[in-house]
Amino acid sequence: MKKLTYFPGCSAHGTSEEFDKTVKMVMSALDVEMEELPDWNCCGATSAHTMSETLANALPLRNLILAEKLDNNIMAIPCASCYQRLKVTKVHMDDNPELAHKINSTVVEEGIYEGKVAVKSMLQYCYEDIGTEAIKSKVTKSLTGMKLACYYGCLLTRPKAITQFDSPEYPVSMDQIVEALGAKATEFDYKTECCGASFSISNTEVVIRLSGQILEMAKESGAQAIVVACPLCQSNLDMRQPDIEKHTGKKYDLPVFYFTQLMALAFGMPKEEMMFGKHIVPVDGALANIGKIDPVPEKIKKTKKAVEAESEVE
Amino acid sequence: MARVGVFVCFCGANIADFVDVPQVVEEAKRIREVKYAIQYKYMCSDPGQQMIRDAIVQYKLTSIVVAACSPRMHEKTFRKALSDAGMNPYLLEVANIREHSSWVHQKDKKAATEKASDLVRMAVAKSIANEQLHEISVPVTKRALVIGGGIAGIQAALDIADARIPVTLIEKSPSIGGRMAQLDETFPTLDCSQCILTPKMVDVASHPFIELIPYSEVIELDGYVGNYKARIRKKASYVNFKTCTGCGACWQKCPVKVPNEYNMGIDKRKAIYTPFPQAVPNKPVIDAEHCTMLLKGKCGICAKVCEKGAIDYKMQDEIIEREVGAVVIATGYDLWDPKPYEEYGVGRFKDIITSLEFERMVSANGPTGGLPVRPSDGKVPKSVVFIKCIGSRDEAKGIEYCSKICCMYTAKHAILLHHKVHDSHAYIFYMDIRAAGKGYEEFVKKAQTDTGATYLRGRVSKIFKKGEKLIVRGEDAQIGQVVEVEADMVVLATAIIPPKGNPDLARLLGVSYDKYGYMSEAHPKLRPVETAKAGIFLAGCTQAPKDIPDTVAQASACAAKVCGLFAGDTMKKDPMISKVNNEFCSGCQNCIKVCPYQAIVTDEIPIGHGSKEMRTVARINEGVCQGCGSCVAVCRSMAISLAGFTDPQIINEIVAI
Repeated sequence: MKKLTYFPGCSAHGTSEEFDKTVKMVMSALDVEMEELPDWNCCGATSAHTMSETLANALPLRNLILAEKLDNNIMAIPCASCYQRLKVTKVHMDDNPELAHKINSTVVEEGIYEGKVAVKSMLQYCYEDIGTEAIKSKVTKSLTGMKLACYYGCLLTRPKAITQFDSPEYPVSMDQIVEALGAKATEFDYKTECCGASFSISNTEVVIRLSGQILEMAKESGAQAIVVACPLCQSNLDMRQPDIEKHTGKKYDLPVFYFTQLMALAFGMPKEEMMFGKHIVPVDGALANIGKIDPVPEKIKKTKKAVEAESEVE
Repeated sequence: MARVGVFVCFCGANIADFVDVPQVVEEAKRIREVKYAIQYKYMCSDPGQQMIRDAIVQYKLTSIVVAACSPRMHEKTFRKALSDAGMNPYLLEVANIREHSSWVHQKDKKAATEKASDLVRMAVAKSIANEQLHEISVPVTKRALVIGGGIAGIQAALDIADARIPVTLIEKSPSIGGRMAQLDETFPTLDCSQCILTPKMVDVASHPFIELIPYSEVIELDGYVGNYKARIRKKASYVNFKTCTGCGACWQKCPVKVPNEYNMGIDKRKAIYTPFPQAVPNKPVIDAEHCTMLLKGKCGICAKVCEKGAIDYKMQDEIIEREVGAVVIATGYDLWDPKPYEEYGVGRFKDIITSLEFERMVSANGPTGGLPVRPSDGKVPKSVVFIKCIGSRDEAKGIEYCSKICCMYTAKHAILLHHKVHDSHAYIFYMDIRAAGKGYEEFVKKAQTDTGATYLRGRVSKIFKKGEKLIVRGEDAQIGQVVEVEADMVVLATAIIPPKGNPDLARLLGVSYDKYGYMSEAHPKLRPVETAKAGIFLAGCTQAPKDIPDTVAQASACAAKVCGLFAGDTMKKDPMISKVNNEFCSGCQNCIKVCPYQAIVTDEIPIGHGSKEMRTVARINEGVCQGCGSCVAVCRSMAISLAGFTDPQIINEIVAI
């Protein structure tokens, strides 16, 4: 039994309830005991770090110090933004003693930071600490037939110096997880392009344009759905999809899943519990592909000569 | 009683503007031993030197101090002036009042003048203790070793051999020719590379003064300038070159296919192969890493089809030795692997290729018959994007320096693309266009005007696939906008890097190399061909990225240096080297550890006069010692002294201030 500190962040209790719920479902299926960080506070998100460096570090630091009071040596975070804020502060604390001292003095009543707990995104935890083999072993209902575009967004693997996970330009961890579930990850070149993030509220046109390009390229890649590991990406790509379709005049029909929803599905858990009803873009069309097998392309009969040539290479 | 002459130079305004020269002369005159002191505008000029010559005779001077620029600049000039006046040239001392005073203290003339006077006082004091020294003669082996058979090595070998000096040219691959043999046409005149190179390759093979040893590498170098001994490993070729006629039956029948290095892996060669049809020597070798017979003991087809019985699977590597007087390093360059450009999809998209792959495709003897084709589907591309500075000038992913040749060859590629595919269009993303060189700017203009290549100033941020096309997204900084170009093929101008083996080779030869792995020259401006180790020279990209004209020029310069070195039967060498006083030497051998030139060895001498018992002392090899003085500093019994920098000289200097 693995143990893990869980930092849900505000969206897990709101817009991304389905992420939160399915994370809990798959973790228990994978024998991971999750302990929610007691008395956790806001990570500061975009607002804090545009206003004050001290505040932007002090908020995550309080959470890091609280996490050290538990026994677990890893804290996993479903929200990409929370993950990014906590990881940035952790790197500052570990690498810059002067700054570390300054920040710690602002939250000194919570304790002194020691650096005992690793901070990981939920995706990173699944990929590094559970592993695709273990995930594969739990699959009872393979997602064969599904073609998925894995979308990582900008925060999960970047900047490399902070995240130290996967490739900053062409990450593959989520692709490998969905392939372990039996689905096919498409060759998707927009997996790290910006979705427009919180401009969704202040300047929606930006999101219409940027998320629109991501949908366009996902469709182009042959995907039937998009997979994400970030609540804001999910909401932009899913909730804004009808607006984007209105704007471009095209129909994308690409439901946007959290990777944990698909894991739960492949683990054979009841579909009703995955809260697919919360999705704006209906998921049934995409899920109907499960079990469908592509017609096998007729094998080109090899001439005797070609076979010989190949064996020569060996 | 010493009689010192002091000559203070204005160096035009260089010294005189910041140092009160007449006052320095007056100060000098106050020193007891100074019998003559004078100033002049340019002491290094002929009238200046004449003043020195005249004064030596007229005032019966016993040593000379010239207060002027750095001794690196004109010490030799003034030494010669002393010789001409019949004085031992090593009785000269130079007080460097330019680099050490006027140039660095421009804001304070009074202090600069005081410092200049101090420097003169020190030089006078030192010169009083100067001894007469005489140049050393070292015997010379008149044979040069050239390492690397690319255009640099070829040119150096030919030029040296044309002066009737024997040359041993070694090349690690089976044929000479190097990178230039892979090129199609060459900028800025579009000469066919093969047409200008292959005749030189043939000349090398047939030259009576050149011994060509292909498929070999140097493994050891002992000795010193004029007297090196090189050990060379001749790799087993498994083919007896004496009996082989190069008929080609073996490689036609060989069943093993291996990616062809000459064509950048675009096609395959056999396990027994010559690198290319114009190879010199045109004899095949067996690639032991891939030959089934050598790996598993099965096959043997080449031996069966060889009518001359030239195949010998039992051949072993052979070690040979050559005595040489000088070495030319010409190991060329490698290309940087663009994998870190993940945002371009390097490795994922087959239709992104490197410039040298493009070069092979458009070559008349290339794997695609001279046409660029998309590796993914074999179609001829109509829209080709060239991206410059891949790895070059990129501290984040690659290296800081400019690879120098990419601007020019990319312009050439745009022209060649237009020649081969008339309805094609070239787009070139660049940071700057660096086209300094004879006919270079005109050549780039030609690419822009005649072929209509679109030059876009800016970096590419992303390449992605849309259908069959690659979409290249980058900035056009001149219109301040992001642009996207639909490309059939993308060509990356990858950076030049030193060959992987350069640092090892440098250590083996005892020369220094820089942080990238390029061989270091002795002085970036004034000694660009020599290494710091006497008798070892550099030609071509082994020193830094270079184009063909620069490489050939440097190779010829190497040849001139080698010929100069071999001009007499013996070599003259500066006498300012270390000497061991055996009476004081305790044989601790600390000096051997610190000597950077491996110039010190141990010697056995009798303990006393006529004694049979022996003791160990240090012995300095006059030919190798460069006079750095490290051994003097570590010698705890003060047994070593450095001629020209003896203890009395140094102590005099210190006492004078």
